[in-house]
Amino acid sequence: MSLQEVVLGASLAVIAVGVYGLTSSSNLIRQLLSVEVIFNGVLLLLILIASTNPNMLTLLMVVLVAVVSGEVIVVIALVISMYRATRELTSEALREEGV
Amino acid sequence: MELQLALAALTAVAMVIVSLLTVTLRDLVYSSIMLATLGLLTAAMVALLGYYIVAAFIIIVYVGAAVMFIIISVSMLGGGGFETRNTARGLLAALATLVALAAALGALGLPHTSLPVSVDPRAVGDSLTGGFLAALLVLLVALAATVIEGVAVARRG
Repeated sequence: MSLQEVVLGASLAVIAVGVYGLTSSSNLIRQLLSVEVIFNGVLLLLILIASTNPNMLTLLMVVLVAVVSGEVIVVIALVISMYRATRELTSEALREEGV
Repeated sequence: MELQLALAALTAVAMVIVSLLTVTLRDLVYSSIMLATLGLLTAAMVALLGYYIVAAFIIIVYVGAAVMFIIISVSMLGGGGFETRNTARGLLAALATLVALAAALGALGLPHTSLPVSVDPRAVGDSLTGGFLAALLVLLVALAATVIEGVAVARRG
């Protein structure tokens, strides 16, 4: 077994677990956590796919991590606003409110 | 090399277990803490592959700021409340994703690179401040948005 195979297996498993969480739960925070799990898996998969130029990949991943961090904060702010308005955190409540 | 492979295998197993706990634990505060652990394990794996700068950035910015923000927000909301689950739909979607990814990777193949790689920090810094200045601006805007949103949420609360 090589390092590449170990990382490939881990990234695919983590992505699958994240997709399971995203599609099985109706809670918005659980869905956000699942998206973040998928992000962790994709980050590892990206390393395997694009490691031919390590310096450029480092740049890409630094920007990716910064953008994802910004996205997390924006989504959490939206979720808090929705919770204040509806006192619920499910995707059904979001649909009923027409937000 | 053997030690590195053993550490990578151990980290991979821990990553899968922690990601399962993140999506299945009932209490969302504990789930968020598991996400922070997953971020740290991802940083460890990235460092094992030779990307030390990215690993440090994941720990400082992603785990240290973004995931901590999730933990504090979920704690403030009191756990997140009601949740319905559709396990069959989740399992089906996860299986379909695995099959699609395996087919795509099988068709395209992975490039033959020797891992771990060696990254030149000076070359990365020169690229970021030279030809990739737009990427640096995106990075700064994203981080500024993080800070502003955090302050806005805290003031409203």
